[in-house]
Amino acid sequence: MEIFGTWVAAFLTLGIISFLYRDNPWYKVCESIFVGISAGYWFVTLFFDNILGLFWAGITREDPNYMLLVGAVLGVMMLLRLVPSIGWISRWPLSFVVGATAGFYLINYFSSNVMLQVSSTLLPLLSPGFGQPLFSSSLYDVVGNIIVAAGTFTGLVYFFFSKEHKGAFGHAAKIGIWTIMITFGASFGYTVMSRMSLLIGRMEFIFGNWLGMIR
Amino acid sequence: MMMRKDFLVYLAVLVVFLLLYFVIPKPVVFSTAVSSIIIGLIVLSLIFILIRTIRGKLVGRRTVFLFVGIAVVLPFFMTISQPIVLSPEVKLVYDSVSELKSGSRVLVSFDYDPASAPELQPMAESFFRLCLERDLKIIIMGLWPQGPQQAELALQIALQDPDVVKKNLQRGVDYVNLGFQTGNEFVIQRMGTSFKSMFPRDTRGVLYDSIPLLKDVSNFSNIDYSFNLSAGYPGTVEWVQVAVDRYGLKLGTGNTGVQATGMYPYLRAGQLKGLLGGLSGAAEFEKATNKIGQATFYMLPQSFSHIIVIIFIIIGNAAYFLGEKKKKKEQ
Amino acid sequence: MTVTRKSKPFLTPIILVLVFLVFLSASLFAQETASGISVAPPANVVASDFNYDRGEQAEVRWKLSSDDNGSAGVIGYEIFRAGVGSEDFVSVGLALPGESYFLDKDVQKGVGYVYKVAALYSGGQSFSDVSNAVIPELEMINWNLLNLFIIGLLIAASVIYFISHAKKGRKLFIRKIAGLEAIDEAIGRATEMGRPILFIPGINDMDDVQTIAGITILGRVARMVADYDIKINMPVSRSIVMTTARETIKEAYAGAGRPDAYNDDMVRYVTDEQFGYVAAVDGIMVREKPATCFYLGAFFAESLILAETGNSIGAIQIAGTAQPAQLPFFVAACDYTLIGEELFAASAYLSNEPKQLGSLKGQDIGKSLAMIIIIIGVISATISRAWGGSFFIWLSEFVNKISTIQN
Repeated sequence: MEIFGTWVAAFLTLGIISFLYRDNPWYKVCESIFVGISAGYWFVTLFFDNILGLFWAGITREDPNYMLLVGAVLGVMMLLRLVPSIGWISRWPLSFVVGATAGFYLINYFSSNVMLQVSSTLLPLLSPGFGQPLFSSSLYDVVGNIIVAAGTFTGLVYFFFSKEHKGAFGHAAKIGIWTIMITFGASFGYTVMSRMSLLIGRMEFIFGNWLGMIR
Repeated sequence: MMMRKDFLVYLAVLVVFLLLYFVIPKPVVFSTAVSSIIIGLIVLSLIFILIRTIRGKLVGRRTVFLFVGIAVVLPFFMTISQPIVLSPEVKLVYDSVSELKSGSRVLVSFDYDPASAPELQPMAESFFRLCLERDLKIIIMGLWPQGPQQAELALQIALQDPDVVKKNLQRGVDYVNLGFQTGNEFVIQRMGTSFKSMFPRDTRGVLYDSIPLLKDVSNFSNIDYSFNLSAGYPGTVEWVQVAVDRYGLKLGTGNTGVQATGMYPYLRAGQLKGLLGGLSGAAEFEKATNKIGQATFYMLPQSFSHIIVIIFIIIGNAAYFLGEKKKKKEQ
Repeated sequence: MTVTRKSKPFLTPIILVLVFLVFLSASLFAQETASGISVAPPANVVASDFNYDRGEQAEVRWKLSSDDNGSAGVIGYEIFRAGVGSEDFVSVGLALPGESYFLDKDVQKGVGYVYKVAALYSGGQSFSDVSNAVIPELEMINWNLLNLFIIGLLIAASVIYFISHAKKGRKLFIRKIAGLEAIDEAIGRATEMGRPILFIPGINDMDDVQTIAGITILGRVARMVADYDIKINMPVSRSIVMTTARETIKEAYAGAGRPDAYNDDMVRYVTDEQFGYVAAVDGIMVREKPATCFYLGAFFAESLILAETGNSIGAIQIAGTAQPAQLPFFVAACDYTLIGEELFAASAYLSNEPKQLGSLKGQDIGKSLAMIIIIIGVISATISRAWGGSFFIWLSEFVNKISTIQN
């Protein structure tokens, strides 16, 4: 059975990779299988892990958690969207989800992604950290501190929408977008590594698990 | 005609794979000499492509795919090894775990699915191995449905390590898998007050209160270190925003390469105590723990593919700038 | 007459044995004393409630033993706890020599406790006096976060102010965003070529603000599609997004005076699974060859796959997302990219909705505040390190204090 599974996996892997050459019936078959199975898999996972595993188990255990029924009712209300005449009911649970998420994120994002990042940008430009002697840091640290402080500031200038990017403000915005683009380049490089890792994993499966060629 | 050509291409590919399966003796190992010859041939062909590009004959995307495929596959059979240098953020994870006393509790959150396993699974295996060797108690949970399943796979590998086998570790006493819980960042929020409310049972169905390891564990304040393996949402960002910034949890993270760049601001601000970024982070961590694993094995194909990409970026830019120059001349 | 002393042959050995015994007992006695030397106990043990928690933690501080001076005397401290009025002390933790603080995380809210700290030495323990009683309490307000509250309030107030400003019909200036003009151009291209438009609103659900921004821009795109009578194709990966998008496009067609031209099949649900969805969208792109592709919303790993496939079919591509990890791919592979907040600005600009416009302006106030803090903080930190100056030191510390979150 395992050998059969390996062969099927190899067939599907090569079918998807064949898209690199050209769209073809082999790719179309694999794509349809993948789309269908993933839709079915998610349905089954959500049903057995969430509805049965968490909701049903939660309300039928020895010390039932009846708060889960509130969530279930909101979920059913969400599904009423499919009935055109009473579809408006679904706006209530949607509002609840959007509102709760917004309130939750408001403080989290503000403290973690704004305040703490601003405070970590308040660097003395010529020393490794506050409290350290002047010029005691390496050139790497000095340049690093300047780039972090200037890059953060000019990046904020670029995303300031209330003023046209003209004059000194425009030049600062230009430095900001250059900094952002360089960051994108670094991110791109990291992501190329990530994608290659996935390809390596698949190739190891093909040449190792399936063909048995790798030691 | 096109269909016939395509059919022949697919048939050729099928024949090649069938030959590889049935005919080629296995395993295939290239000696250093053969590896050097292959590398030399690849370099020559790339120089050839560069010259053609300069002369105006551009190479197609399928050629690029072919070279990337060769760069990924051939190193599997080579015996060349690659030096791996430990970066400070990886060392920070290792040091944070090494500083923990025997019996300390480590919470490991598995927030990824099999699609990200090539990068994150080696990290999980190495991390478990390190914790079990140091007699740390492991509590596993996941915010992605397949996360705890990936944890079990990594755990089985770690438990087979010779240094770990002799400890005769027991589930429920030395490690426990609490499973998956839906709710994303709200789960983390609730765990701040009570683990039991989110995970009333472990994956075997044993009640929380009946698990010896969890006897004195009620929330994050009873956890000595936490490690999050993340491939997207929910993941490290949510753990930092809720568990670290609100509850003061000490957190290290292992991320896919895609996410890793976004984590450096958190590392810089001290919100993260260590970061393993992508496959290179996993390989560095294997080096730190002195146990060579899959990540180290994958690094050679990784490096080769990166070099190929860099060379094609140079070739592509050469083609672009020469094309611009030609356009200006014509104008 | 000569008197001869009688010899005493056993005396010397006896004396030697006695001396040996004296030395032996002295050394034994000395050993016993060394292991039995007690150390001074810790003093001034003070127990207090840990601030700003749920009443589950208590702090214990003490003055170090006078014998804790780096010699082998004190080898550590052990902290003991008992209920108020009880003599039943239990060990709750250890501290290293030189440490004078312990956080007890195992207490209950509202219950009184007392503590004793013992200095540990090789022969035993030297106990301090019992501390004051402490009752851990829950604090409703964490005053350490006052700076977060004030700054948050300032930004919220400015958002509310600008929203009300916009509602009164006053114009709020937003600078030109390059990608927006490209939208009209792209739709015009699709009209000329007679090929459809592909619109991808990301793979997150309607609770993600990026998806909401994408759907807002869809309203504008759908209106132009209805006016120019071109086909729009919108595969989605979330059912709620599907229903919202259908309503948006239906309204657009009704607004254009062509409600009959609308068809539910314009928006189709594919699958929730990320790569299943992108495989299907790739197939649609290659088969239907849209002239224009819009990627506006939250994307993850599928972003480059979509952009590359769109590139390969020669479509004009306009992307916008706030996912930092995906922006590099869109910037590299697409014709125009709305970077991060530009997506929300575009959504506000196109919809002209007071709430969106006011929010954008309010956020600009927040950004101004951040820029001011950075400038003042960096300059004062640099100057105070370089030349000192009590004013710059104070300013630097003040700015650090207002921007740092303390738990």
